[in-house]
Amino acid sequence: MAKSLLIISRQSPWSGPGAREALDIVLAGGAFDLPIGLLFLDDGVLQLAAGQNARAVQQKDLSANLQALPMFGVEELFYCAESANARGLGKLSLDEAQPLAAEHITALIDRYDQVITL
Amino acid sequence: MKFAIALFSAAHAPSSRRALLFAQAALAGGHEIVRLFFYQDGVFNASDAVVTPQDEQDLPKQWRAFINEKQLDGVVCIAAALRRGVLNEEEAKRYQREAISLSAPWELSGLGQLHDAVQDADRLICFGGA
Amino acid sequence: MSTLHVLSHSPYGDDRLSSCLRLLGSADAVLLSGDAVYALQPDTVPFSTLQERAIRLFVLIEDAQARAIEIPDWAKAIDYPAFVELSIHHAKVNSWL
Repeated sequence: MAKSLLIISRQSPWSGPGAREALDIVLAGGAFDLPIGLLFLDDGVLQLAAGQNARAVQQKDLSANLQALPMFGVEELFYCAESANARGLGKLSLDEAQPLAAEHITALIDRYDQVITL
Repeated sequence: MKFAIALFSAAHAPSSRRALLFAQAALAGGHEIVRLFFYQDGVFNASDAVVTPQDEQDLPKQWRAFINEKQLDGVVCIAAALRRGVLNEEEAKRYQREAISLSAPWELSGLGQLHDAVQDADRLICFGGA
Repeated sequence: MSTLHVLSHSPYGDDRLSSCLRLLGSADAVLLSGDAVYALQPDTVPFSTLQERAIRLFVLIEDAQARAIEIPDWAKAIDYPAFVELSIHHAKVNSWL
């Protein structure tokens, strides 16, 4: 059976290529049909903020790539509820992402075979 | 025990040294390294263009020697490398660049190689950041 | 199933350590390396937090020595061969990059 991999994305979408490069690992895993999960933690939840405008800083729109995750076979999408609350996030741009409390994140990490926190 | 080791920061970051010492200790302990994968700023460890001051630890040189001596698979993410100007002869030609800064034993390939290593290994160990 | 969490950033002005402690499972362990060993500077919030939580705590010895950080008796100093063994002892390693 294929090993499962959890990517924990902790960077804001505007802090350099980090957020995109974390997402690229997820998309590559999805393309190979591997069991892969994505958790947004700390500043990573800012990737989910609604109404972002990448064109204002001449960048590519990361949220469009995030929307495409379920199409790439990545359906295990989560975010840290506490991180989102601490950053005042209300409506999120990714309906599929489930909020998790800290103890559920502990259980989530336990469930996966390996983990990469970026 | 089979290890996959991934490095996410440049040779001048202390985590590069930690990754190398971990890899050396793993082999010395009788374990196997299925692949070394270099992503994000980790691609700079593979750059031939890094010149380390004489009285400092030369990590790109040590990584190269380690990979050659132990005949390891040293894979550099091609997308991350192109973005950071680390090109082998083939890519330099493809994008019409003068600078070639990556050569054997290093190999440019895709993120599939990271996933492949995770599938093969018992443990994935990542180094990076500070 | 347990996870070895590896930290390498200074805990001052960075939320990796606090996020890690928030998510830490009861069977998990923490390894401090690099500037993360500054968490063991006595009379600081990270020091007392780690002491009170009574977690399984390991410290990469060369990084503590370089920074003149004394390792308290409730933490265990390890070298690279022990780091390798520690990573095998846990089901996975989560490095907070």
